[in-house]
Amino acid sequence: MTSRLTRRRLLGTGMALGAAGLMPVRGFAESGRVVFSTYTGSWEEAHRDVLVPAFKKAYGADVALDPLLALDQIAKVRAARNNPPFDLILMDPGPALVAIGDDLVQPFDKTQSKHFGDLLPAAQDERGPGIFFQVVGMAYNPEKVKTPPKSWMDLWKPEYKGRVGLTNLGSTLGTAFMVELARLQGGSETDIEPAFKAIKELLPSVAGIAPNPGALATLYQQGQIDIGPANFNNVQLLRARGVPIEFAKPESGTIAFSTSIHIVKHAANPELAWKLIETAMSPEVQGKLADQPYTVIPTNTKVAMTGDLATFIAKDQAEMRKSFVFHDWAKINQNRAAWIERFNKEVRV
Amino acid sequence: MSQAATDFGAWRLALPLAGFFALFFLAPLGLLAAVSLFADSELSRLGLDQYAKFLGDPFNWRVLGDTILLGFQVTAATLLFGYPLAWLFHRVSRRLQTGLILIVILPLLTSVVVRTFAWIVILGRQGIVNSALLALGLIDSPLALLYSHLGVVLALAQVQMPLMVLPLITSLGKLDPNLADASAALGAGTWRTFLRVILPLSLPGIVAGCMLTFGAAVTAFITQSLIGGARLVYMPLYIYQQALTLQNWPFAAAVSIIFMLAVLLFVMLFERLGQLSRGYAHA
Repeated sequence: MTSRLTRRRLLGTGMALGAAGLMPVRGFAESGRVVFSTYTGSWEEAHRDVLVPAFKKAYGADVALDPLLALDQIAKVRAARNNPPFDLILMDPGPALVAIGDDLVQPFDKTQSKHFGDLLPAAQDERGPGIFFQVVGMAYNPEKVKTPPKSWMDLWKPEYKGRVGLTNLGSTLGTAFMVELARLQGGSETDIEPAFKAIKELLPSVAGIAPNPGALATLYQQGQIDIGPANFNNVQLLRARGVPIEFAKPESGTIAFSTSIHIVKHAANPELAWKLIETAMSPEVQGKLADQPYTVIPTNTKVAMTGDLATFIAKDQAEMRKSFVFHDWAKINQNRAAWIERFNKEVRV
Repeated sequence: MSQAATDFGAWRLALPLAGFFALFFLAPLGLLAAVSLFADSELSRLGLDQYAKFLGDPFNWRVLGDTILLGFQVTAATLLFGYPLAWLFHRVSRRLQTGLILIVILPLLTSVVVRTFAWIVILGRQGIVNSALLALGLIDSPLALLYSHLGVVLALAQVQMPLMVLPLITSLGKLDPNLADASAALGAGTWRTFLRVILPLSLPGIVAGCMLTFGAAVTAFITQSLIGGARLVYMPLYIYQQALTLQNWPFAAAVSIIFMLAVLLFVMLFERLGQLSRGYAHA
């Protein structure tokens, strides 16, 4: 009898321990640590190398990075609204508006901020300041494409038949490309029809439509595709790995979007989260991130454009303002679901 | 000890796992079913709208049909290539058996992402298959293998092969070798012996292997999307798109439930076929 009781007690203790292990380890975050969900891959690398040490030095507190795609971040915060797994999330403009509309994030208090006023107007958003820009231009393999492409419409040239790579509308890249296409063909964020027409004409040239930008990069690496729309920083990453790939700015301008950082509602550590945003906006951090090998495009006007940024993107802030094309993501979001559905059906093999 | 007492003892040992399943499998499944019953993505109104939306669009039927077809093709390919391997396994020396089993389970020891990336390298325009065919002069321009349905079938057949071969090895191992000799002594040829004796007796292994392979192939999100690309929409990618890209949880949940029921239906069909042919074998 005694032994049975002991066994039972043992089992009970074991299960309690097991349950404790399954609980999220939120407790640690409340003391001097802030959890920031950044993007995967080179973004995480850049933030780990530059942002985290700078924050530690300035405030003596720690940052835990939890790299995820923007939409996965939203899903996680949505699933645990009252006890969110992160204090801060990083968003492309489409997902950012979803997070704001869904009441998942709180605004940034700019009154105390030293750096908010120095940001380019496109990044000065109190709902979540832009800490870097991403731009979409054309990637091409210089070994196969001898003359660098000049215009988006070059993709339709017969010599690129079977060489063009795209992504679907699940990514900002794919959606932004469609909107730009519509714009160039007389459409807009609300009139996507011309883009679908153009894509249909492009299909014979398309060697692959990747399910995400990461998979698109693999296609360049494998020589499966030689030309197509691409995110500047993805191209930089491939170039650094020795893949023959170059970035070209279309004459109509590079598609640009601000990547914003947001404090999550019910965050465990909102004060520290605010401080991390302040650090991320500072010219010191953005300046370091703008250098090789990160080449993250700064939003702070005090950061000089040098190196690859000056060569491929813009030599100064004035040129940046001139060559960047911004889209209206509030309008895009209204129709995105319908576009994705249509894209599924129309590009299907 | 009475039979009932033994049963109870056995049940009690299974309780922790049963509790785990109830908490982490049945409860979330119930939640999924509940979410699928909301009519709008804000979860404010109940209704069967999501199911009606799915069933009313021929595109969705095609996605479901293509996914099930993919499952059958992969299952057939693994059975066709896996059966001889399992057969061979029982006809080689112990040392070779160790080598064979290592080859069979090796894929299970590498991550599915790594295996899938290897297939991208194999199937690409400048991949091994195309380079070899071009060098041999069999083709003039590279075949489109990557981002094709055929490519997905090939990659999945290799990735899921252990799930078919392992049950087959077990089931063929239980076969009494004297049965084949007896069949031969009674005048049956090799094929007749195989069809009337070996195949029926290895059916349990075939059914188990088919169910595992089918279930794994239709739900293989990573391999399907990386080898198939975005122009081939299968159910897992479709669910991902709806749940994460569009944050339309009720529709994604309804698609998941429909997909689960469809897969269950076919898995039960395998089981039923196995039973039917077993009865036939005994008759």
